[in-house]
Amino acid sequence: MKNQPAFKTTNLTKKYKEKVAVDQLNLEVEEGELFALLGVNGAGKTTTIRMLTCLSTPTSGEAEIFGHSVTGDPDVVKAMVGVSPQDTAVADNLTVVENLRFMAEIYGKDGRESADRIIEDFGLTEVRDKKARTLSGGWKRRLSIAMAIIGDPRILFLDEPTLGLDVLARRELWSVIRKLRKRMTIILTTHYMEEAEELADRIGIMMNGRLVRLGTMPELEADTGVKGLEQVFVTVAEKEGVYHV
Amino acid sequence: MSRVGTFTRRNLLEMSRDALSYIFCIAFPLVMLVIMTIVNQSIPKEGVTIFQIDNLAGGITIFGLTFVMLFTAITVAKDRAGAFLTRLYATPMKSGDFTKGYILPMLIIAGVQAVISFAASFVVSLITGSTLNVLGLLLAIVTLIPPAVMLIAIGLIFGTLFNEKSAPGICSIIISLGSFLGGIWFDAEQTGGVMLTICKCLPFFYCTKAVRSAIKLDITWDTYFLPLIIVTVIAVVLVLLASVAFRRKMKADLG
Repeated sequence: MKNQPAFKTTNLTKKYKEKVAVDQLNLEVEEGELFALLGVNGAGKTTTIRMLTCLSTPTSGEAEIFGHSVTGDPDVVKAMVGVSPQDTAVADNLTVVENLRFMAEIYGKDGRESADRIIEDFGLTEVRDKKARTLSGGWKRRLSIAMAIIGDPRILFLDEPTLGLDVLARRELWSVIRKLRKRMTIILTTHYMEEAEELADRIGIMMNGRLVRLGTMPELEADTGVKGLEQVFVTVAEKEGVYHV
Repeated sequence: MSRVGTFTRRNLLEMSRDALSYIFCIAFPLVMLVIMTIVNQSIPKEGVTIFQIDNLAGGITIFGLTFVMLFTAITVAKDRAGAFLTRLYATPMKSGDFTKGYILPMLIIAGVQAVISFAASFVVSLITGSTLNVLGLLLAIVTLIPPAVMLIAIGLIFGTLFNEKSAPGICSIIISLGSFLGGIWFDAEQTGGVMLTICKCLPFFYCTKAVRSAIKLDITWDTYFLPLIIVTVIAVVLVLLASVAFRRKMKADLG
């Protein structure tokens, strides 16, 4: 028997006045999968994540998280998802440990115990008592992801987690994400090709609000007849009329 | 701890680490207390009683509360501008948890501010030889709860409806209105005519009147209970309005 998908969207659409941000998205991700949504700015990745995390209401269509509708059952959905937004969403004047305790208690967990566990898991010990506003971009992003998983979500949404980070900080964050994939389903949006290639089980390519390609790396390469995700992406963009040399 | 309690603690911690909160909520009212006491010492005693400490103490605390309003608006507008609130919108927190979580820490700050202002006023009263009644000051602290809730609710509404840049500007209009038309820096009841009518149309007049009456233990229907009831009713209405405004804005933000 097929397992229930971690999430499933059916003709999911979001319009802002005349602009269609997400257009008839049909997508299913299995539990335990690390799925990457790839696309340039404005492709509809963040809007998709916002709808799946109850941060935005779909204009039409449906999205379900473990069988629960994001519009009909938002309280249940919110208890099952963790989200690390594109901007580092931390309380600036609180220390690392205070930020973590705060988020744990919002999810009804024991703040002290949960924060200590996550600090250990994420290697945040050296910055434990530093105020969030004094952290470097890499540490802030790491804290932001730690805050997203402290409620023990079944699905973690990472929206452009490495945006603006230097190469070393990015690599460190990749190793954090690799550890997390053993514990939960992860949906990652990015416009860094190597990130999707390095981390994801399957990749979805979004352009102009539409999911235009979906598959594993070998499947995408076979489909487009080119090697490497960057070439795949450019080929797809040309075919879709989004990119002209 | 409940979600409201957790959010309240976060807001208290954030504010206690922001130097602006000490400047706005503590230092500025105290500076005004000292300046107005010096003014009182420098003007003829006959006729002008507004700067005498038994009038000044109540006026200063209401003036201080208008800065708590400003600080509430800044805090909420700043939170809304960042991604932190977006993260919280994706948690099981409800809009009511947010409004309560903003109002409660501000009430605590207002309470601390009132105690410090009254303690300073008491010291001033000892120095100037017109000792304030301690029972009156204690009653005034309790009396300040409805005005504090009212002003915090106004701050919450402005912080919800306006952005980080415009919310403080709008609040400064209210601070000016409250100061002049609330009778903080002059005795509104001595003015009469259109001026008094305008003052009586705004809630600040009743805030100042109730607190001054409490300090002087002038507890009658007209001087204390009626103004306090008016302020309480307005405070309740404004809290409801703030809750509706925040819920609507939250929905709009979520699109």
